[in-house]
Formats: sequence, structure tokens, C-alpha cells
Amino acid sequence: MASMSFLNKWKPGVGGGLANGTKDTQKKKEEPPPEATPLEKMLQNAGPVRQDGSDNLETHVQALYYTVPFREHVLSYPPLSPADTPAEGYKPKVNVVVRAPTENGNAQNGNKPLSTAEALARRKQINSGQVPPGQVKPEDKPDSPEWKKKQAMLKGPILELAQENPGAYGMDECSFTGLRDIFMTLVDSSSRTGVLSPQRFLEIFKRDNEMFRNSMHQDAHEFYGLVLNDVISNVEANARKLLDQEARRAQDGLVKSVESALGATVTHASNGTNSPGTGWVHDIFEGVLTSETKCLTCETTSQRDETFLDLSIDLEEHSSVTSCLQKFSAEEMLCERNKFHCDHCGGLQEAEKRMKIKQLPKVLALHLKRFKYTEDYSRLQKLFHRVVYPYHLRMFNTTDDAEDPDRLYELYAVIIHIGGNAYHGHYVSVIKTEDRGWLLFDDEMVEPVDKHYVRNFFGDKPGMACAYVLFYKETTFEKVRAEQEAEGLEEVRIVSEKANMAQETAAQTNGTGPGLTRQATQPISPTEEQALVNLDHAATAPELPSNPQEVSITQLDGSAPPTVASLTRSDTKPKSDKSREKKEAKAAEKARKVAEKEELKAKEKARKEREAQLREARKSEADELRRALEESKKLAAEEEKAKKEEPATGSTSSPGLLNRSHRGSKSMSRRSFGFLGKDKARRDSNDVAPPVPPALAEEESVEQSNGSPSKPSQTQATHKVKERFSFSIGRKKSTNVLS
Amino acid sequence: MFVLPPPPRYPTQAAYNAAVAAGHATPLIETNNILSNPEDSFQAGEGTYVLKEDLHLATPPPHPSEAPILNPNPLATLPQPATAGTRISLITLDDKAPPPAFYRLTSATTLSASIAEHPGEDRLSHDAKLSSDGEGRGTSISDGPTSLTAVSAPAFGEGNSLLAPEKTKDLNKRRKPKNNMTKSNSSFISRVIINEAVSKKLLDRPGDGVFAFANINRAFQWLDLSSPSKADYLTKILFTKAHCLSHDVNLVTKGPGHLDVVMGFSTGEIIWWEPMSQRYTRLNKNGVINKTPVSQIRWIPGAENLFLAAHMDGALVVYDKEKEDAIFNPDEEKPEGEAEPRTEFSKAIQVVKSIHSKNQKVNPVAIWKLSNQRINAFAFSPDNRHLAVVSEDGTLRIIDYLNEKLLSLFSAYYGGFICVCWSPDGKYVLTGGQDDLISIWCPSENAIIARCQGHQSWVTAVAFDPWRCDERNYRFGSVGEDCRLCLWDFNVGMLHTPKAASVRHRGSISSRVPGLHRAETQNTSISRLRSNSAVSTADDDEEETISYPVEPRSRIPILPPVLMKKADKDPLCWVKFTEDAIMTSCKSGHLRTWNRPADNTAS
Repeated sequence: MASMSFLNKWKPGVGGGLANGTKDTQKKKEEPPPEATPLEKMLQNAGPVRQDGSDNLETHVQALYYTVPFREHVLSYPPLSPADTPAEGYKPKVNVVVRAPTENGNAQNGNKPLSTAEALARRKQINSGQVPPGQVKPEDKPDSPEWKKKQAMLKGPILELAQENPGAYGMDECSFTGLRDIFMTLVDSSSRTGVLSPQRFLEIFKRDNEMFRNSMHQDAHEFYGLVLNDVISNVEANARKLLDQEARRAQDGLVKSVESALGATVTHASNGTNSPGTGWVHDIFEGVLTSETKCLTCETTSQRDETFLDLSIDLEEHSSVTSCLQKFSAEEMLCERNKFHCDHCGGLQEAEKRMKIKQLPKVLALHLKRFKYTEDYSRLQKLFHRVVYPYHLRMFNTTDDAEDPDRLYELYAVIIHIGGNAYHGHYVSVIKTEDRGWLLFDDEMVEPVDKHYVRNFFGDKPGMACAYVLFYKETTFEKVRAEQEAEGLEEVRIVSEKANMAQETAAQTNGTGPGLTRQATQPISPTEEQALVNLDHAATAPELPSNPQEVSITQLDGSAPPTVASLTRSDTKPKSDKSREKKEAKAAEKARKVAEKEELKAKEKARKEREAQLREARKSEADELRRALEESKKLAAEEEKAKKEEPATGSTSSPGLLNRSHRGSKSMSRRSFGFLGKDKARRDSNDVAPPVPPALAEEESVEQSNGSPSKPSQTQATHKVKERFSFSIGRKKSTNVLS
Repeated sequence: MFVLPPPPRYPTQAAYNAAVAAGHATPLIETNNILSNPEDSFQAGEGTYVLKEDLHLATPPPHPSEAPILNPNPLATLPQPATAGTRISLITLDDKAPPPAFYRLTSATTLSASIAEHPGEDRLSHDAKLSSDGEGRGTSISDGPTSLTAVSAPAFGEGNSLLAPEKTKDLNKRRKPKNNMTKSNSSFISRVIINEAVSKKLLDRPGDGVFAFANINRAFQWLDLSSPSKADYLTKILFTKAHCLSHDVNLVTKGPGHLDVVMGFSTGEIIWWEPMSQRYTRLNKNGVINKTPVSQIRWIPGAENLFLAAHMDGALVVYDKEKEDAIFNPDEEKPEGEAEPRTEFSKAIQVVKSIHSKNQKVNPVAIWKLSNQRINAFAFSPDNRHLAVVSEDGTLRIIDYLNEKLLSLFSAYYGGFICVCWSPDGKYVLTGGQDDLISIWCPSENAIIARCQGHQSWVTAVAFDPWRCDERNYRFGSVGEDCRLCLWDFNVGMLHTPKAASVRHRGSISSRVPGLHRAETQNTSISRLRSNSAVSTADDDEEETISYPVEPRSRIPILPPVLMKKADKDPLCWVKFTEDAIMTSCKSGHLRTWNRPADNTAS
């Protein structure tokens, strides 16, 4: 199990303090560590202050990474022989700096010593004061999440992704190259554990997305949209550039054909179906919605297709994802301020509108709209509705002509928001990996969890943890059945574990003797107990009216052996016919005790064995650590060099900035709705000290233009300002896009 | 934390209340039942159902000895114990006339299907009465079990003389469990509270009054619903740690002085309890036979001693209430059973121990391993020949349990199944699950008949309303996690000719036409269709295919509900039709009674 850490001290000048580490949850779970696979690498946010949205970056990068087709495509794009690539067969290598873990996890945060404390404070806040003051610090308590995270800081090689190597891909530095570097590093790294710091990715991402440039808590769904959008636009921009180059190189005849090809793709793009280069992104995430609008005046029905990369669905109390999806396709009346412009009758008319899915995506990302804007508080409120989600899903709301309308989906990733509202909180993710089952990714901590754990986030459990984004991927019935048969034994283990939990405690109470048992059958409140103790020495006095049974209880409460208990108990019974029964009972009791003792012994033995294994594992881990240290020392020099070179690379990246005007043409054609736009804007103006009026104005206009869907995409493409794109079709209630 | 009420000091509630008032005793988090009469009603085709009352069965707080499981970390990965909302069974001691539908069905010639293959079909009404649907108000025959075995279905385990119950001389004198519950010092039982007036109450109650048994978390309550003070339980048992997940009352042995109740627990343990004498016996103690929770438990129809428990590891285990537990070694069974261990569960059930095994001195009587997936529920067919079992992996199995044979295996549209029940005539099986659908299956045709769409969340319970069923039309109800009660009218003929049907039938069935394919359904339900993600029929074309694929949505009629009603504030988990009411219960323990329309009761 490995982790990748996002360095969130990304601001220039704070570069040094990398807080990274590794940890091996596998070992903690007392399993023999299997051989290393690069897939174990995981993203991790070692940076303690996560208000800048890096933890939601982390959860999403994880989710994306485990979206197998997406990962493979990212890794194989661009194809390794673009004209510009210097050497054929040269495998681009990511600039990875391996750092040694310092002896003290906190020391790494030298520049920002407060940050850990801040993080903990935040966590405490989330957990609403679970740690009373004066107790052990949460990070010192073994097995607490904080402790595990600290351990992760202290161990393992650290992969620091401080620089990009876009040159190797023949592309300018952009979010895509950043993401690709992360994935590459994860795949290339041979160690099973480690922390990766995608510092540069975050930097680029922030450069390109101004709203992430503050230190506010960011929305995970929004981030997902932005990353995907960036990837699409980056790849497209690159494709166009390549085409241009080829066009330049080509002679007359060729030019025309390329141009027409380009033209074709552009028209395609405006249809929202396909585009050069990024076909794979669309192939994976993109589906097509058909919205049917029926004008109530002239009864004509108009249809329009739009693509989507995820679905934002409204939630209802006590509902299921299935029904929320159906609600999404329910008919909607367009009336009053929201009238429909009918081309047929010419003018705003009342209309009925419904949206169905025409083409199902391979990966279905469902954004549960847990944050609702409330006018009363003029802020976002989190909905703690109980929304159940099944492990498998089919879509009911497909059009009649949809291809394979019964497509089966399986849940493979859940992004969870923990916290009371939209402005604070913490993101974690639970992801199903191919080879290791379900894993919980919580910052530095990675823990294997069982399948049923996924169901803890319906929204009704205490702790304010709710599923926020669900990822379903397509699968087949046969695969599901095969998997169910394979996981059968695991299922059995889980259920017996659950049952055992109750049994073990029962055994314990048996062990402590009937004192407890008796107390259970006839509970005594503490005050009463005290009173009885006082009575105790007077118990010999025959005239005392107190119940002899109770006295015996208090006597036993201390340390009397269990057999005595049953004796005293039987004393209170009439002796006649009960004596035989009593003997039998005693014998049975004894037999049971013996059995229990044996069981305990066996358990003890098993535990010792496991401990031994664990020790073994720790030793090897220590060796690994030492090796990593040596390696890192060697690398230290190189690192120095690299740092000196950094300014140079920085300057080379500036053309990239200029190139931004190229980007995003494709994505513009997508129906984009600032689904967070309004509230975001409000938030920006409220929370960020100096609001940037021009940017805001720009945003508003974008929003407006988004409101009229027929606007040609190319005009938007020339916007200099970085627009926000959402693939959300969550603007069903167009008045309140976010809710 | 809180403590339980101190019983010795304040023997009566009044005394305790006085003490609290005087400041001598600490007030507790009250765990008494509360009867209230909120106003609510809903309108169905036949009239208005009115909410009669809401009996809130108190959910007990966790046992004080139990470390508080308040882990503020929402990501805590500790395993949680299995729990099942509130499950209730109703029982009357009176041999009342069975629901009218049964009589009509008996005379009908349309009775079909797998049942018709068997001789003695004319005894169906007899069988139906034996249905051990524990929730059932179904009545049992008073003349004892010997006559029962003579009817159409052979008794379970017939042919194995070792299983024959020992004849008791006096039928009224039933064998009682060994241990006294009130004097128990078992660590399993935390506390038993018996109503001080229980004997008087039992004497005074009307003979046809309804008893209710309910399990809510770690509590088990015995209530008299015919009593004016029905909120006062006759007996309440609190268990220490284990949660009772399911229970059942034996309809064969019940009598004025005897009731056999079995309860299955989250620890896998089982208790046989006789409420009148307050005696009990523990079975599968400490999980010696099976360590996994019991998701459902039912007496085998017509059997005095045998009951079937569904364990969550996918095993069905038959126990004898009077036999001792023994650690079961499957190897002992091998030589005679000669059933080679199968790894693939989908094709057959693995008979780990057969009822025909010669080794019947101790429990378990039989073990059938269906799969490794959790069994969520099962139901016996009204003719006592078949068993419908639904699992978390979304499979419905129809099992000939007398011959220990899997007959067919169906799959959910998606997600797991949660509940199952048979139609009163045994023709159809209903399942409800995590796809928010109720599916109607016809085991004799090996086909799905319709999917019922209307719930907004998972369906947790389904039940037929025998008072509104006849030869052709079926009324059933369902409840779900969406807090809704749905009523459905279903007529097979209608499904095939949807448009005409929607106008006629009681004015209540309105069939929405799902697509153009509607007309094809009759043929296609049998022929297997492929769609990309739907299943291959597969099983390598064995002579006898038992595994059936998922039918695409467009092929199967979709049935809308005739009524949808938010029946409670919390997710519902149980529904039951009685002669004069519909009863529902929710996860937090509200038992609601909805009276049937007044004019309807006469008919």
C-alpha cells in the first residue's frame, strides 16, 4: 500500500518542507505483504492544511487512477512517436525526487510547524470533540487515524513530483501532463509503499483554475469536472497543434485534406460527439442525454442531445440512487420565468420537458447534490438525507432507442464528504481496486475495508460522513456472478466476524464470572450497591429484612470465584427437587468453562503467531527503509542540481500560459453550466477579501451565455479568462443551479 | 450513560414513578411502549383505510455492560453487528376461519403449476392453513400433527424413521424447554420483565384475541393486542449483546397453554422459548454448528420440532428444538451422502448433511449450503413443498426442500433481494430488493411475470392480502426504505392485454405501457433473450436448465402501484394483512394498524 502526498505548500518560497512518508497498512493488518505492484501506489496528501482543496484532489485522483481505462489512456497518450519526440523508443521518465523520511514527522514541517496542529484541530472539529483535553494526543493513540497518518509520515521513500516533464510528451505543461506524471510515477515505482507529492500538478492546476487559488474548502465534484475538462482541453490543444505542424509540413494537396479533417472534427465537436485525440476521454466518461421539450401551445416536440461527463442528481429523504435518477428524468414544467422559446410558435411558451439518457457512458459518475443553497441562510447547507446506493445499478431512464439500455453498472468508487456544511470538512474515498479489494483512502492513511463498509455512508449514520460522488463502471452479469462466487469466502469471513464480535464479548462476560452476569439479570444502580456494601457486615443479623440474594451479589461483586456464585444462588432455592438439576447445570457450566478456556488458549496462540509474523514483517520493512535512506542521500545532490534548474524550466513554461488561448475549444462545445457559479460567485465575494470585479463580471456573463444553450461554442473558446465548466446537467432547476 | 430500572426496589412501575418523583431514583431513558392515535388515512380503490393506532415498541438502549460503541470517527472500520428493524408475528389461539380467498381458491380449477403435478391437490386449503408463515394469522388444525402428515405434501424428512417425533401421550401436554427464563443466570439473557398481572390477563382475554411477538434490537416482546392496555407487554426479554433478528411461532403446537417460539440471533445462536411457562433452551450455543447470524427462522410447516434457520454464510440449517447441539463434522456425512463437494453453487445446492442421514441423534438435522452469500429471507410455499430463498447476491432459488433439490434460480434486475413471499395459491412468488422493484415470478413457468415499479427506495417486505385475492386477481402490499406502503393489484391476463385491462379491472389496475414490446411478453417470458449485459442462459445447455437469465427491461410488463402512501416517518420493515386491517412496522418500532374500509369488512 502506498500513498502519494500532495505537497500543499506549493507557494513559491516554501518549497523545502516536504512532509511525506509511507506506511504499510497491510502489515498493520497482519497480513503477509504480497509482492510489490505499482498499483499499490496511492495518492496521499501529506500536507496538513487541506483547505486548499488538495484532499479532494487526492480523492479524485485516486478515483480517476482506479478508473482503469482512464489510467491506461492517460499513460498511453500521446503515442510515443509524435514528430517532435527526439528519440524513438525513448521512454519518458518522470522527474522524481526520492526523499528520505526525516526522523521526526513534525520536523518535516519545519517551515510550517503549525500545520499539523491545524490539521488535527480541524479533524477534532469534525469529530466534534472526541478527544477530551488532557488526554493523549490523537496522533499518539495507536490505531487512531491520526496515529496512522503520522506513521505514514515517518516511513518509506518519498516521491516528490516537484517538476513536470512536459517536453517528453511533446506537450506544454498543463494539468494533463501533471496528472500523467502522477500516474506514471505510480506505475513506475517499484516499491509497494511510498508517498508521492504531486506538488507541480497542484501548482499547474491552480494556475489554470483561479478559484482554487485560495485556501478555501473546495468542492470535490467541481474538482472532478475541472480535471477532466482540463485533460480534454489539454489533449485537444495538443492534437490541434500536432495537426497544425503536420499541415505546415505537408504540401498543397495534403493541406486541404488535413484541413477538411480538422473541419470535420470541429463540426463533430460542436455536435458533441467526437474529437481528435481525446476520443478516449469521451469514450470513458461521456454519455448523451436527450432532452425532449414539448410546447404546450402548439404541441410540437423538439429534441436536443447534449453530452455529459457526470450526472448531478437531486436528493430526497429516504430514497435510493435509482429513484433519484428517475426523478432526474421526470417531467418538468417550464413556466413563468422559465418559459421555453418555441421556434414553431415563435415566442416564450409554457412547455413540458424531460431528459432521458440516450447513450450510457462506460463510467457513470453520479454527483449527489448534498449541498443545497438555502435562501434563509443565504449559504450552502448540507443535506443529510439517507440515500441508499446499491453495489450494482441499471438505468431506468434511457430513451427507447438507446443502445443496450439494460447495461449493468458496478459501484467501484465512493467519494465521501465528512462535515457539517459545504465550507468545511474533509474528503476521503473508498475505492475498489482490482487486486486488493476495497480500500479506504484518507490522506496518508490507506486501509483495507470490507465490502459492507461501503454502505456506511448512506447519510444517516452519526459522524456526518456521506457519499458525495459515486462512480459506477460498466460490467457484465457474468463478471458479477463470477466475482460473487470468488468473494464468497470473504463474505463468510465477514459475517462470522460480525457474529463473533458479539460472541467474544459474551465470552468475556462469562470469563469475569457470574458476578457480572448476575448483575446483568438484576442490575443494581451504583448508589444502591453502595448501600448494600454498607449493609454487608450487618448481613449476619438475622432480622435484617434485606434480600439475601442481593447481599450475595455484593459479596460476589469483588472477586469471588464463579462456582461460589452458583452456590450462593442455589442456596436461595428450595433444596428438594432442584438439587439434581443444579448438579447437572453445574456440570454443564464447568464443561462450558473448560471449552471456553481452551478456546481462549487457542486464540492466544493464534495471536502470538500473528505477532511473530508481524515482527518479521517489521524487520523487513526496516531494511527497506534503510535502503531508501541511502538512496535518498545519493539523490540529494541531484536534487540540489534540479532545484537550480528549476527557474529555467519555470520560464519555459510561460509560453504554455500564452497557449492557453488554444485550449478548451472542445470543452466549450459542451453544455456548460456554472453549476456552482452563482453561489461560488457569492462565496467568492463574501469570503475572499478582495473580490475581483472583472473576473466576476466575466463569470456572470459566462453563466448567462451558458443559459442560452444554442450559443456557438467557438465564441466562448476565445475567452481569455478561465471559465468554469461543469458537466453537470444539474441545472434542471435553472434558477438554482447548485442545489 | 443510563442504567436499567432497578427492579427489586421498585417492584411496580407506580412505585418507581413515585420514587422518581421523590428524587430517590434516577429517571431513566424510558423504554416503555407508547400507544398513540395519530390521525391519518389513505384512499384505495375499495375505500378508505384509516389509521387506527400507532403502538411504539420501545427500542432498548444498549446494555450497560457493553462498552459504548459511540465511535465518533465516521470512518471507523469496526464491524457492526447485524441488525434487523422490527419484525413482528401475530398469532391467535383460536381456530378461526381462514381468509376467504383460500376457500375460493380451493374450488377453482385454475390452480396450476408445479403444485398440480402432485396428487392430493384438493387438499390445498388444508395445506394453506398449515402455512407456517409465522407472521401468519393462518390458523392451525387442532387435531395434532399426525393428521397433518397425511395431507398432500409428505412430511419433511419422511422415510427417515429417526426423525419421527416421539409420540406424546397427551397432545395437550407439550414438552417444555429445559431452563427457567426468569431464574436464568445465563450471560446471554440480560433481563426478563414479566407483567405482574400476566396470569390474570391470560385468563381474561378473548379466545380469538391476537398475540403479537416482536423483536426490536436486543429486546423481544410478547404483547396481547386484544387487551385494552395493549402497550403493556406480557413479557419483555432483554438480551445482553445479541440482537434477535427473526423469530417464528409454531402453528402446529400452539394451544391455550403452550406456544413454541424460536428466535434467531445476530450471534448465530437460537433460543426456543415457551412464553406461558417462561422456559427456554439455547441451541447452536456459542455457534457450535454455525457461527454466522440467523437472518430468518421458520418452523417447518406441519412439524412439531423441526425448524429451518437461514444463516448469513449462505447455509440453511434444520434444527430439532429438542435435540442437543453437537459440533458438526461434514466429513462424517461424506461416505453415505456421496455428494462430491461442489464449488459452483449456482447449479445446485450442496447438501452438507441430508435429512436422510442416519446420524440424527443430535442437531443439526440437515444443512444445505446454497452459496457463500448472505441469505436475506426465505418462505415456504402454501403447499409445503417448496421453499423460495432470496440472497444478498440477487438470486431467488426455488428449492424442493423435501427432496433437497434446487429447482430453479432467478436473478434480480440488479442488486440484492431483501424479501420474498408466495401467493396464497402458491402460483407466484414475489421478491423485493435493492433495485426498488417488486418482481413477480411464476416458478411453474420458470419466468418473470412482471416488475412492479413504484417504491423510491429498497423494498423491505412484501405480503399478499388474501382477503382481496381471488382466482384471477391478486392484491399485495409492500413496504420499503422510502417509508412508503404500496398496494398493488395484479392480474395475469391483464398483463398480456394491457390496454383493455387498464380500464376494466376494479378501476384500479392501470398499466403503463413500457414500450412496443408489450405484446410480445407472453412468448418472450419463456424464451430467453440476450442483451449485452443480460445474462447468457448458459449452464452449457444441460438437459435441465435451472439458472435463468435477467430479462431486459423492455420485455417485461411494468406494473404501477394502485396506492402509494407514506406510512411512517422511518423506513418500514414489515407489512401484514389481517382480516380487518393492514399492519406495518418501522425500524424505530412503530407498529401501525390501518383499518380496512368499513363497508368492505362485511363482504
